[in-house]
Amino acid sequence: MKPAPFAYVRADTAADAIALIDEDPDAKFLAGGQSLLTLMNLRLARPARVVDIGGLGELNRVFDDADSVLVGATVRHRAFETDPLLRRLVPLAADAARHIGHVAIRNQGTLGGTLAHADPAAELPLVMVTLGATMYAESRRRGRRAIPAQDFFVSHYTSELEPDELLTWVRIPTLLPREGWGFVEYARRHGDFAIAGAAAVVGLRPDGTVERVRAGLLNVGDRPLLVSGGASMSGCRPDDELWRDLAGEWVRQANPPENADYVRDVARAALTRALRAAYDRAVSAGGE
Amino acid sequence: MSGSDTSWLGQSLPRHEDQRLLTGRGRFLADTARGCVHACFVRSTQAHARVRSVKTGSAAALPGVLAVLTAEDLGLDGAHLPMLHEPHPGFAEVTRFAMSDPRLPILASVRVHYVGQPIAVVVAESRHVAEDAAELVEVEYETLPPVLDPTAALAPDAPTLHAHLPTNEAARIEVGFGDVDEARRAAAVTVSDTLRIGRHGAVPLECRGVVARVDDRRDRVEVWTSTQIPHLVQQALCRVTGWARDEVRVAVPDVGGGFGTKANVYAEEVVVPVAARKLGRDIAWVEDRQEYLMSAAQGRDQVHHATLAVDANGRVLSWEDDFVVDVGASSLWTAGIIANTAIHLMGPYRVPAMRVTGRAAYTNKTIVAQYRGAGRPEACFALERCLDAAARRLGMSPEEIRRVNLLTADDLPYPRPIPYRDGVPISYDGRDYRACFDSCLEMLPRTVCDELRENYPEHDLGYGVATYMEATGRGPYETGRVRLLPSGRFEVATGAASAGQGHETTFAQVAADALRVSPDRIRVGNGDTDPVTYGVGTFASRSAVLAGSAVHLAATRLADRACGYAAMLLDTDAAGVVLGAGGFRADDGRVVDWTDLAAAFGPGGRLEGQPSLDELAQFRPQTVTWTMGVHAVVVGVHRDTGLTSVLRYAVAHEGGAEINPRIVEGQVIGGVAQGIGGALLEEFRYSPEGQPTSTTFADYLLPGMCEVPQIAVKHLYVPTAGNPIGVRGAGESGAIAAYAAIAAAVDDAVGGGDWRVTSVPIAPEQVRAAIARRSAAVAS
Ligand SMILES: Cc1cc2nc3c(=O)[nH]c(=O)nc-3n(C[C@H](O)[C@H](O)[C@H](O)COP(=O)(O)OP(=O)(O)OC[C@H]3O[C@@H](n4cnc5c(N)ncnc54)[C@H](O)[C@@H]3O)c2cc1C
Repeated sequence: MKPAPFAYVRADTAADAIALIDEDPDAKFLAGGQSLLTLMNLRLARPARVVDIGGLGELNRVFDDADSVLVGATVRHRAFETDPLLRRLVPLAADAARHIGHVAIRNQGTLGGTLAHADPAAELPLVMVTLGATMYAESRRRGRRAIPAQDFFVSHYTSELEPDELLTWVRIPTLLPREGWGFVEYARRHGDFAIAGAAAVVGLRPDGTVERVRAGLLNVGDRPLLVSGGASMSGCRPDDELWRDLAGEWVRQANPPENADYVRDVARAALTRALRAAYDRAVSAGGE
Repeated sequence: MSGSDTSWLGQSLPRHEDQRLLTGRGRFLADTARGCVHACFVRSTQAHARVRSVKTGSAAALPGVLAVLTAEDLGLDGAHLPMLHEPHPGFAEVTRFAMSDPRLPILASVRVHYVGQPIAVVVAESRHVAEDAAELVEVEYETLPPVLDPTAALAPDAPTLHAHLPTNEAARIEVGFGDVDEARRAAAVTVSDTLRIGRHGAVPLECRGVVARVDDRRDRVEVWTSTQIPHLVQQALCRVTGWARDEVRVAVPDVGGGFGTKANVYAEEVVVPVAARKLGRDIAWVEDRQEYLMSAAQGRDQVHHATLAVDANGRVLSWEDDFVVDVGASSLWTAGIIANTAIHLMGPYRVPAMRVTGRAAYTNKTIVAQYRGAGRPEACFALERCLDAAARRLGMSPEEIRRVNLLTADDLPYPRPIPYRDGVPISYDGRDYRACFDSCLEMLPRTVCDELRENYPEHDLGYGVATYMEATGRGPYETGRVRLLPSGRFEVATGAASAGQGHETTFAQVAADALRVSPDRIRVGNGDTDPVTYGVGTFASRSAVLAGSAVHLAATRLADRACGYAAMLLDTDAAGVVLGAGGFRADDGRVVDWTDLAAAFGPGGRLEGQPSLDELAQFRPQTVTWTMGVHAVVVGVHRDTGLTSVLRYAVAHEGGAEINPRIVEGQVIGGVAQGIGGALLEEFRYSPEGQPTSTTFADYLLPGMCEVPQIAVKHLYVPTAGNPIGVRGAGESGAIAAYAAIAAAVDDAVGGGDWRVTSVPIAPEQVRAAIARRSAAVAS
């Protein structure tokens, strides 16, 4: 479990990182290393060179920007749980992040890393899709571009990023008044990748009836799956039964590669509870 | 000198080794590798194939590579490891026992039998370079269809895996007594089931590893290996190489867990020293986790076809089982596993008639050793699952059917009409197994479910109970040595290497009592063929019983001889000298202590030139001593996912004298944790092509802090006369009944219907499906 030989350079700035990757098509960014180093040690990844961006302070920052929050690519998973600003502005991410592996992993793993890695079972990609975040990527050739989260994840471990692109910032919309969130996942053991999981945001009208519902599932296909359609909850005050029915309808959109019936079953339970939690939070956030 | 009036036996002293281990000053195999060059094994990527060629040229040419060696290069062509256990001929005759020797080559050159089998070794300046080079070794395979199912392996038309053998049968055994067919006729209920225990095994913190250093001055090679059995490693190494015993020293550093996987002799333990001698270089092989999960010996993997007949009151009338053990490509312990399984099928019950047939089969999976329990958990699972099934059919509770059948004070000691593996007729030497059962239920009664229910609204709660027998402390012998050091302190050595069991603490306690000193004056070395020439090792819950007794004998003899020397110093008659806490006391009150005695051996001292105080003793038990125990568990089954959580756990066991109760408790708790793993999480899986798919911790799931609850342990003290310190083994107790107890609790939680747990690890999707069927049935 030793990596194949590789060269190592540390980038001092984001611009530096972009320049370094541009020089060498076989190079890879190294952020927290919690996915890349494992793959390298198993010799499943063999970059000729790694460009270490893990220490880039300029991207390890968070900006509160009125109705959204701008989070840098090297912000650690753990910060979503512990940083008071992030906790307040993206509580859904805070709740999801605590399911990522264990604390030691979350202290290292970065937001940019988990998004670029594009594991369909990962928590934060699902959160970004559910909240409708925007990723910003930068490269020498293409300059800067914005990619909506929904288009960002292409397939298993494949994102929209080109090999020379650095994911720099992520803009995450903050919740509106009368919006609530929910995150639930089920794993064999605490800290494992989930069998299935769900994130949901429910927004209410001033009269307390549902205005909109946005939800997604993890580990039920080749990317985080935003679910939609089905019976409209608009104008309703749904009870448990209605949420369960909606979840049941929605999980049919999932095509888990293995053990499909069981995974859908688990996804339905997670989604039902996530929707309920989101609705309950919206209600107590002043929906009525 | 601080003497001692207290008895150190029975005290929960803090473990002496913990000081070192918990402050990062342990010295494990990798810590002894300084200055070595590194080995990396080229391993088979195929489950079953002919090897057409092995090309090492480009690997050998890589800068930093010292050598790439095949069997031929090492003079090991055709060499194989000797089997590690054969039962007593008396036992073999009665049980029609037969076994075959798979003769798996130390390095494969003609045919490979499992993924991970060593083919060649690269020796290089660093492990990095060695791994780079290993990738460059080109092995050309002609793949053959793999055989992965043990029952299919035994079918008459199955391809034979080992060319020199007529079939894939690794061993067979028949154990029986009473007239089963007659007894079954009177049955009120007969239950039959097929029960499977999946393939899993020990996963210690520390993987395997070997360091071999060439000592040219003494013309020998020193082998440090992370093993439980240094003496058996030395013996096997000499057997394979033809080296004399004194040409090889095998010693054991701190070992980060063994659990039976390291009570094995491995090809790597031969290759590394042979390569070291050939190259004249000190070589280290430090195994990594992926290598471990692919190629270290695994365990369990049994299928039982069992039939239990009971009368209307639930009394067992007859018990039949036909089982198959999958020993993978090879096991040096097949005899032990198959015999253990057969014998322990009797359980702690009145069983008037029994018919057991067992077979072991070769397949193209990783090799197998005796994983903690080694057949006992499997036997327990078969019997206990059938008892639960019979109780259900009779409308009895699982507790009732067990109470009806458990041996009581009136039955015990309870002779059985078959011999143990050592040829000695079996006799359970316990006190009252039903009382032990009751005391476990007292700790954790079924009603606890009701108290817990409201805390777990998403779960169905269930209760399970299971009992076990464990033959412990098997022979043939173990060695203990106690030596007085010049300071007046002592050094103890035994053949039983510690892999974390706390030998430094417990053997010091044993010796302290005989020497009448405080244990902190006694140092215990780890397994090493230098201080102890002949030994057996640590496995089969035997170290406390055998090595403990051997230390006791050696220390007692040492104390006796020391009285004679003390008499010389006191100018009195030996008969008048008494060893007490303060030292050696003459009739008239004068005293010399161990420090005086030790000093007197020095130049000019009164004991100069006298034979030193250094005693070696062997302890040979007449036969095994039996530990019986009971596990009770409450589980919560999550309705929506079928995931099982263990919420409460209790173990009561009838054990012997405890050298250190805290250590015994730790052994039981650790065993339960491994049982929970095997029941719910752990499995070495293989693809249809025989590729192992559980080669990282993302796929091989171990129980952690969140999966193992607090475990209550009650020790019922029943000493045995079978050894001078009255102890019974307890090393495997914790693991044995966990499978059956947890399975029963899951059944209870899922409730009713025809579904029941018949295989472990319990698959959450099956539990979920059973719950869904139940809900559908309720709804309709
Ligand atoms: C034991 C264990 C358990 C885990 N459990 C979970 C879990 O339950 N859920 C979960 O979601 N994750 C889990 N992870 C993965 C963890 O979240 C990783 O941290 C994450 O997937 C990758 O982030 P990283 O910063 O470590 O990225 P790295 O490993 O450094 O890189 C990952 C990939 O992203 C690329 N990359 C990194 N940063 C950028 C960037 N800014 N721009 C472009 N490309 C970039 C790299 O080149 C590489 O290809 C686990 C990891 C471990 C070791």
